Amino acid sequence: MSNAQTNAAPAEVTAIDTQARGPLLLLLGSGLVWLAVSGVLALITAIQLHSPQFLADCFLFTHGRAQALRETAFVYGWLANAGLGLALWVLGRLGGEPLRGLNWVVVGTLAWNLGVTCGLIGIAVGDTTTFALLQMPRYVQPFLVFSYATLSIAGVLAWSGRRADAMYASQWYAVAAIFLFPWLLMAAQAVLLWWPVRGVVQPIAAGWYAQSVWSLWLAPLALAILYYVLPKVTGRTLPTYDWAPLGFWTLIFVGTWTGGRHLIGGPVPAWIPTIAVVAHSLVLFHYLVVALNCRGLLAASGTGVGFMRFGLVAYVLFGALEFLASFRGIAAHAQFTFIEPALQQLGLYGALSMIFFGGIYYAVPRLTNRAWASGSLIGGHRALVMTGIVISILALIVAGKAQGGALLDPKVSFADLFDRVRGPLLAHTAAQAVLLAANLLLLVNFLRSACCFGGSTEAAPALFRTSATEEAHAS
Amino acid sequence: MSTPSQPDPRADQAVFSDDKLLASHEAILGPQPDEKGKYRLLPLNLLFIFSSMIFFGGTYLGRYSGYFDARVFNEGAMPPSANVAAAPVDPVVAGKKLYAIPGACVTCHQPNGAGLPGAFPTLVNSEWVTGSEERLVRIVLHGVAGPIKVAGVDYNSAMPGFGPGGGFNWSDDKVAAVITYIRQEWGNKAGPVTTEKVAAIRAQEAARKTPWTSVELEKLP
Amino acid sequence: MKNGPLLFTGLFLALLISFGGLVLGSHGQLGRMAPYFDDGDGTAFPQRVSGLAARGQLVYADLGCASCHTQQVRRPDFGSDKARGWGERQSVARDYIHQARPQIGAARIGPDLTNLGGRQKSEEALFALLHEGSARHPGYKFLFETRDVAGEASPRAVKVAGAAAGRETVPTERARALVAYLLSLNTAYDYPEAKPFVPVAKPAEAKK
Repeated sequence: MSNAQTNAAPAEVTAIDTQARGPLLLLLGSGLVWLAVSGVLALITAIQLHSPQFLADCFLFTHGRAQALRETAFVYGWLANAGLGLALWVLGRLGGEPLRGLNWVVVGTLAWNLGVTCGLIGIAVGDTTTFALLQMPRYVQPFLVFSYATLSIAGVLAWSGRRADAMYASQWYAVAAIFLFPWLLMAAQAVLLWWPVRGVVQPIAAGWYAQSVWSLWLAPLALAILYYVLPKVTGRTLPTYDWAPLGFWTLIFVGTWTGGRHLIGGPVPAWIPTIAVVAHSLVLFHYLVVALNCRGLLAASGTGVGFMRFGLVAYVLFGALEFLASFRGIAAHAQFTFIEPALQQLGLYGALSMIFFGGIYYAVPRLTNRAWASGSLIGGHRALVMTGIVISILALIVAGKAQGGALLDPKVSFADLFDRVRGPLLAHTAAQAVLLAANLLLLVNFLRSACCFGGSTEAAPALFRTSATEEAHAS
Repeated sequence: MSTPSQPDPRADQAVFSDDKLLASHEAILGPQPDEKGKYRLLPLNLLFIFSSMIFFGGTYLGRYSGYFDARVFNEGAMPPSANVAAAPVDPVVAGKKLYAIPGACVTCHQPNGAGLPGAFPTLVNSEWVTGSEERLVRIVLHGVAGPIKVAGVDYNSAMPGFGPGGGFNWSDDKVAAVITYIRQEWGNKAGPVTTEKVAAIRAQEAARKTPWTSVELEKLP
Repeated sequence: MKNGPLLFTGLFLALLISFGGLVLGSHGQLGRMAPYFDDGDGTAFPQRVSGLAARGQLVYADLGCASCHTQQVRRPDFGSDKARGWGERQSVARDYIHQARPQIGAARIGPDLTNLGGRQKSEEALFALLHEGSARHPGYKFLFETRDVAGEASPRAVKVAGAAAGRETVPTERARALVAYLLSLNTAYDYPEAKPFVPVAKPAEAKK
C-alpha cells in the first residue's frame, strides 16, 4: 500500500517545503488578514453607496477615502502577499532546491505590510495621491519599492539556482511578475509623484500603471500558480502547451496597452482608446491560450482545483467582457456606471482571488505537512465565497445597466437614478457581507491549520498519514 | 485506502512530481521525434487566429486612430489640415468684444454709445462716426483732443489713441473691427472699414505722435 | 524557453515599449501644451484660477470626490452630457493644463462637475450641501466648525436645525477653498481642436 503511494508521489513534502514553511506561511497569513480588512472596508463602501450618510461624519472613512482604502488593502495587502507567497513556493518547487534568502523574505514581508499599513493610515488622513491603484502617499512609496526588492531576492535566487535549465510556464510568469513590478512602480512614481507630468497626461500615466499592475504583475502571479497546480493534480501535460510561450508574450507585450479603454470619450487624443481596442483584440489570444491549456480544470477534482476552476472561468470571461467593453458603442452605455466595478470585481475577486484561494488550499498542507484543520470550514468558505462573488457581480451589473440607461436619458434626474439603483446596491451590500463572512472562515481555518490553534478533531487524511510515516521511516 | 470514495477536502492529491512536470512539458516545447528541421513552423490554425486578430486590429487602427494626432479627440475625425484657411472672424463680433474691453471704448463712450454729456461725445448718429472714414480711422489710431463739435454739441476733452504709441497698440485688424462695429451699431448705418484702409492710413500718418485736433481733421475729405 | 537573459530582455523591452509609447508618447504630444491666446479677448485660455480655488482642488482630491463625480464632458453624440447642460463641447486636453492634479474621475454616481461654476453660482447652496448632505450625497460636517458668534453672525454661516443660541456653524478654510474651487469650474472657451466634428457625407471630401 505505502509503496504504491510513494510511486505516485502524493504529497511530496520535501526539504523545500519544510524550510520555507515559516516565511511563506507568514506571507499567506498576512494576505488573509489583509483580505479580511479589505472585506470590512468593502462592506463600508458598499453601504455608503446606497446610504451615503453612513460614516459621513468620520473624516477617515468618507466614501472617497474608503474606496481608496479598500482598493489598496485588497491589491497591495491581500493580492500582493498571497501572490508573492505562492509564486515563491512555485519557484522553489520548480527550482528543485530549497529556497535561499528566506530571512530576507521575512524582513520583506514585515516591511511591506508595515508600508501598506502606513499607506492606509496616510490615505485615511488625506495624503492620498488620487491615482487609481497608486493611492498610497508619496512618502510611503519608496519604502514599498525597497520592501518588494527584499521579498523578491528569494524568488530571483530560486530561479537563477534552478537545477533544470528548462523553464516551465509557471516560472516564466512568476519571474515576470517579480521582476517587472518594481520597475513599473518606480516608473509610475516618477511621472506621477516625483516629477508630475502636465494636465491630462497624468490620467493617461495612471491608467497605464493600473493596467500594468493587472497585466504584468497580478495576472502573471495567478497564472503561475494555476499552471503549476493543474498538471500536478491531473497528471497530464497541458493540451496546447506549445502555444503557451505565445500566450505569455502576448500578455506581456500587448496587455499594458489596453489601459486606455477607460479613457474613451475623454479629454485624451483618440488614438489612446483606439489602441486599447486593438490591444484588447490581440490579448484575446492570451485568454484563448489560457482557456485551452487549462481546460483540464473543468473535469479535475479537488479542493484547490474547485476554486481554480471558478477562477479560470472568471478569468476568461473577464478577458472577453473587457474586450467588448472597450468598444465605443458599448462604452457609451457602460462607462462611468457600476458595470466598471463589476468588471473589476470579476477580475480581481472572481478570477485572481479564487485562483489564489485554490493555490492556498493546495499549498498550505504541503507547507505545514498537515492537512487543513476543518473540512466543514472549507465547504463553508467555498459556498459563501462563490455565492458572494456571483451575487455582487450580478447586482452591480443590474445597477450599472439601470444607471447607464438613466444617464443616457437627459430627462432622468439623479434622484430618480438613485431610486433605480438602490435595490441592486442593497443586494451588493448583502453579497459583501457574505464575502466578509467567507474570508473570516478561511482565516480561522488557516490559523487553526498553520498555527495549531485547536488541532484538528477529525482524523488526518490518508495522504498525510502515509507521508508522515514515510518520513519517519526514511530518517 | 483501497477504495478512494470521496476525496478528502482537507488535502489535494498530486499525481505528477515536480521533475516529471518539468521534463514532460519541456519535451513538448523541444524538438519532437519526427521533426527534422531546425525551426518549427507555426501551426496553421494558430496562424489563422493571429492573422485575423492582426487584420482586425490593423483595420480598426487605420480607421479610428486619427493619425495619432494630439488634436484629434474624436476617433472618426481626421487631423486638422494645415492648408485650411482660418475661419474668417466676423469683424462686428470682434469689434463688439474690443469695444467692451474695460479702459478702451466703453469706459468713456458707455455701453449704449451715448457717451457722457459734457464730457465724452456720443457715437449714436454722430457725423464723425457715420461720415468720413479718413477722419474716423485717424481718430481711433492717434486720438483726438481739444474742442470738437459732435452732433451739434460742443465737447472739449481728450481721447487717447489706440494705435501706435498708445497703451493698447491695436493691430489694423482690431482697429478696422471696432470701427466697423460702431458704424453699424445703435442705429448707425454706415459701411464697414477694411483692414487695408486702416493700414494705408497708418502708413500715411506714420510720423504722427500727437492726438489730432478737430481743425486738422476737418481739413481731410 | 531556456534562455534566461533573453527572457529578461524581453520583459524589460515590453515594459519599456508600453511606457515609452503610451506615457512618454502622450507626454511628447501634450506635455508642453501652452494656453491658447485669443487675439480678440487679449487673454490666454484656460485662465488660471485663484490660489484659494487651486487649494480647493487639493481638498477635492484628498476627499476623493472623484470616486463619484467626473470632470470630463463627452462629446454630444456620446452620451447625454450636452443635453444635461454639463457642457457645450467635449473636454479637451487644454482644459486641464493648469491643474496640479486633474480629477477627471471614473464614475458618475453624481453629476459631472466640469462646468459647475457655470451652472451653480450660489456659495450658500454649496455650503449647505456640503454640511448637511442629502439622501444621495454625504455630508461633510468635519469641514465645518461650530463656534460662538463673535459680534455679528458670519455671512457664511450655515443653517443648522436646532442650533444653540449664540453659536454658529461656519465653514473652515478647507470648506471655503473647496467651494471656491467648485465655483471656478468653467471651461467655456472654444478651442480650435474642440470644434465639434461633423462627419462628411462623401469620404472623398474629407481628404481635401
